[in-house]
Amino acid sequence: MRRVTPAEIAVVDLAVCDRCGLCLPLCPPEALHLELNILTVDRETCTGCEKCIAPCPVGALDMVAYA
Amino acid sequence: MPDLDVLVIGAGPAGAVAAWQAKQAAPELDVVLLERDPAVGSPVRCAEGVGDAGLREFATPDGADWAARKITRVIFLAPDDTEVKVTERDVGWVLDRTRFDAHLAAQAAAVGAEVLVGTEATAMSRNGDGRWHVRVKQRGVDEIYRARVVIGADGVEAMVGRWAGLDTRVPSRDMESCAQYVLQGIACDPDAIYLQFGDTIAPGGYAWIFPKGVGVANVGLGLVALKTDGRNARQYLDAWVARRYPGAARAGYTVGGVIVHTTIKKTYTDGVMIAGDAAHMINPLSGGGIVNAMKAGRLAGCTAAAAIRAGDTSDRRLSAYHHAWMELLGDDHLKYYRLKQALENLDDAFFNGLARTVNRIPQGKRSLGRIFAHALIKHPQLIPVAARFFV
Repeated sequence: MRRVTPAEIAVVDLAVCDRCGLCLPLCPPEALHLELNILTVDRETCTGCEKCIAPCPVGALDMVAYA
Repeated sequence: MPDLDVLVIGAGPAGAVAAWQAKQAAPELDVVLLERDPAVGSPVRCAEGVGDAGLREFATPDGADWAARKITRVIFLAPDDTEVKVTERDVGWVLDRTRFDAHLAAQAAAVGAEVLVGTEATAMSRNGDGRWHVRVKQRGVDEIYRARVVIGADGVEAMVGRWAGLDTRVPSRDMESCAQYVLQGIACDPDAIYLQFGDTIAPGGYAWIFPKGVGVANVGLGLVALKTDGRNARQYLDAWVARRYPGAARAGYTVGGVIVHTTIKKTYTDGVMIAGDAAHMINPLSGGGIVNAMKAGRLAGCTAAAAIRAGDTSDRRLSAYHHAWMELLGDDHLKYYRLKQALENLDDAFFNGLARTVNRIPQGKRSLGRIFAHALIKHPQLIPVAARFFV
């Protein structure tokens, strides 16, 4: 549960994502989930820390404005 | 709502060995092995290299269809492409992981464990009846499995550990982002594995060529994202392959994460143990995890069987698993982690110099131990590294 609403949150490009799962343990608030071969970002849990972005081997994750 | 004794989640090397050993140790128990993918061993997210001695504790590679190539040489490449050959007897093997994982699952099935593919665990909770209630989805249908002991062998994502309240997080500096091609039509020594270091090639990790056959190899790299220039692992791989093997055909492709962290502080709780990649048991220096996964799987399976027979699957009873692991491999693990940290501070100039030093040792005398000893004399900055490794 986050206390501060972030300006930006992570978003995944499902056409690029290989479902390797590398990003999951990197996420401090555990906002990333991989189920039924689909990666999702929990919008209300993501704190915008960006720890998942650079390590993705294929660059499937990016930051977008939390609107 | 099936009731069972041991539920193993993940049919990779850790899970398959856990299920196999649990059922073999206590045949009267119900042991189920779950695999979310439609097949065991696929997709392959692995460079498929394994050491000879560790492998032989669990399976015999000679003539096996799951052993793609026997390796008898190790060739290090310095950042400037200087080659350093090291010859050791019985180095290891490059596996066909799809066949190998299937072989291990078959061992589990042969002793009576139930293997379910296309079956994904999606949640887990305790319900006051002394069992874990695991929500499982198979062919679109949800079911609850009630298990006395759950063994989480679910790899880098480590969801079982997360559901059980264990800390499965990985610091960014301890995650190797990896990409690999299976290349056809390349020229390399088919009995050797190659490892290349270099800040512009694979910062914080290394690139590898692991032959699967003559002219075919797993060609990949792992790097630490914090140390890159902003490109991702696949982009680094494309650049390296374009330089070394511009004409090669790409017959396969995979990406994934290799956790190069020390073992999770607590790999167990009431009715739960986690093993293999999920418990951060990969060798932090080499990135190799198959043997450690099987050893941990064996410990977890045996601990589960004994605990259920004794009627006690509590946190305190299962701590025996963690202690057995730490006694078997935990100290070495810490030493490798410290060595990895020390090596991070050494730059390309150092590795190029080291390669030239080692190449002055006659080939026949170039064991890894001798290399290290010679390197210490010529490169005193390695001494603190060696001290931390050997202390």
